[in-house]
Amino acid sequence: MESSVQSEIKLAESAFRSSHAQNGDRLAAIRKEMEYLNTIGKSFVAAIDRFQVHRALLAALQELYSFAACSILLRGDPYELFINELFIIPCYPLSEAFFQAMVQRIASAARVMNIPIVSAEELAITSYLDAPDELSYAPEQHMVGATEIGACLNIPLTVEDRIVGMLSLFDERAGTFDTDLLKLTTMIADYAAVALENVRLRERETALWRQAESDRKRLELIISSMAEGLLITNEQGTITSLNYSAQHLLAQAEVDLKQDIPLRQLAPASNVYWLYKLAEIIDQALAGQTVMNQELIAGESGETIPLTLSISAAPLHDDSQAQVRPVGVVAVLNDITANKQIEKLKDEFVSVVSHELRTPLTAIKGYTQHLVRRIERRLRKVQQRQPEKSSTPAASELPELLDLRSLYIVQSQAEHLERLVNDLLDLSRVQLGNLRLQFESFPLVDILAACVRSAQTSAELHTISLDIQAMDTQIVADKNRISQIVGNILDNAVKYSPQGGQVTVRLEEREDDYFVSIVDEGIGINSEYLDHIFERFYRVRNIASRQYAGIGLGLYVTKAIIEGHGGQIWVSNNEGLGCTFSFTLPRTPRTS
Amino acid sequence: MPHMSDHSFSVSREQVADAYLKVIRLIDDRVTPFLGKVTTRVLVQGAARKVMSTYPFLHFLVKMPYTDVTPAFMHEQFSGVTPTELAAGLDALLQECFAGLKELTGDLIAPPIYDEVTRQLEQLQ
Repeated sequence: MESSVQSEIKLAESAFRSSHAQNGDRLAAIRKEMEYLNTIGKSFVAAIDRFQVHRALLAALQELYSFAACSILLRGDPYELFINELFIIPCYPLSEAFFQAMVQRIASAARVMNIPIVSAEELAITSYLDAPDELSYAPEQHMVGATEIGACLNIPLTVEDRIVGMLSLFDERAGTFDTDLLKLTTMIADYAAVALENVRLRERETALWRQAESDRKRLELIISSMAEGLLITNEQGTITSLNYSAQHLLAQAEVDLKQDIPLRQLAPASNVYWLYKLAEIIDQALAGQTVMNQELIAGESGETIPLTLSISAAPLHDDSQAQVRPVGVVAVLNDITANKQIEKLKDEFVSVVSHELRTPLTAIKGYTQHLVRRIERRLRKVQQRQPEKSSTPAASELPELLDLRSLYIVQSQAEHLERLVNDLLDLSRVQLGNLRLQFESFPLVDILAACVRSAQTSAELHTISLDIQAMDTQIVADKNRISQIVGNILDNAVKYSPQGGQVTVRLEEREDDYFVSIVDEGIGINSEYLDHIFERFYRVRNIASRQYAGIGLGLYVTKAIIEGHGGQIWVSNNEGLGCTFSFTLPRTPRTS
Repeated sequence: MPHMSDHSFSVSREQVADAYLKVIRLIDDRVTPFLGKVTTRVLVQGAARKVMSTYPFLHFLVKMPYTDVTPAFMHEQFSGVTPTELAAGLDALLQECFAGLKELTGDLIAPPIYDEVTRQLEQLQ
């Protein structure tokens, strides 16, 4: 017989064993649950498309329940025009009625979950049936007879506090799902949600990558098909990309331009002189400057019209670093040789025509002068005889007087024509580089004063004044040409201020040069034309300028003359009325 | 479910609102372990959408998660509503929340929570 102590010990041992056994069971259950979660976690992580996620989900749920079907409703995102997607995953073949009932329940639960659903009918039309492969290969399996849903469970699919969809489980029998497994089911739904979100992001990434690749290829095709040459450099000025046209245009360099060497280093190593200019343009753009239409003669200098390129280059900025140093340069090259040929032909034509015009013009001027003098002499004689013979007609009524007036008009127009021809001849000289300047020393103020006097005689509405702010105005320059340019600017000032007004010619003395400005109160110049006003044949196109005569050469020649002296010219609009032409002239010419 | 205003004509609007906010939080506490923390928020939004035509003063809950609602903001939204009307509206909201919960999980978790909420509302009266 056992003592009470012994029996107490046995009881204690039994309780210990029982408690130990319970803990062991609990630990085993936890271990089993963890193994289960680990297994399903791995299968979800390994899923690379949504169908693999469905397979993993089905396998995980079938470990917990025996059920008819599950479904995944994914909320449409903005990239997919908010169109929801429904995937129905049956565990065995379903009847049509059961399927319809499922969709009705999904639509109803989706409304509770705040997932926008149009209608159950539309949801049914757009749903996908993702049956496991074994169902497809076993057509002899009978269809489930049930038409009504016995049990249903809907669990939100959430990712980072966002409901991305809904997992639904269905069975034909009631009571299939229980509260004890609900937490585990929600855990599986969380795995599925994350896996589906990853798939969605991967699909989005793939779609974006394909789109980017397609855009890149399209851009590549456009660039390679461009008639213009396109050249791209990196931030060191090394050419990284040349399209076919650029390769063709720069072929004359006979240098491999894509040597991974910056152009400024490549240029000295080659015999190609124009590579320096190209490198200079690229460097300017790398410094942040946009270079427009720079001409580059890339042909042999001996050729009649060498290959001439027009280059525009702009800095390339990284989106995130717009304000710092460019990451490269993009340059566009155009072959303008044909334009140069046309320009040359035009220049030659202008030169020939103006020379040919000059000969008859000289004759017209000479003979007109001769006729004017003869008629003037005759009229003087008539006037002298008049007091003696009162019967003769008055001098003012003589036909010779009418002839004389006509001849004055011929003379005036011939002089106008001569000025035009001279402008054309000057143009030819400038174009051919034959504008010869005859330098001599003279006081600049004398020429300015003479020009002002001359302009004032034909400008009754204007007051032309001279403002000298210089002590010594001695200059070495081409007197006639300086007179020509000042006269030209003054003519314009008078012409483009039809209402009259003040015109001021101001002379200022600077360290090495003189600064001359001619200020008018005329119609001014539209700011968009300011950059072009010194181009040849350029005329400001506005309604007001139609009434003004001229062929657009005066300022072009003026600029060439000033630059021939080593000076500069520019124009700006005044604060109030009119504009100011300003130029500088060195005391002694700075010619290259 | 006992309607708060049935026996409490002396209860203020603020007391009604606070009482219902408490029971919604209770539902949230009970539902979260099973269906995650977003579910109750969405259930309340869905319920508000359903009842807002009858109780327009609950419209703000459609756009705004109830968890973001501060007492001051809620009292401002309910100004001008009688305690009886407010209790009726919030009760309808609660009923819709339970209807939604039943739609999702059937009778798995809704009945015990319903009973608990009923008890709590009775205590609060």
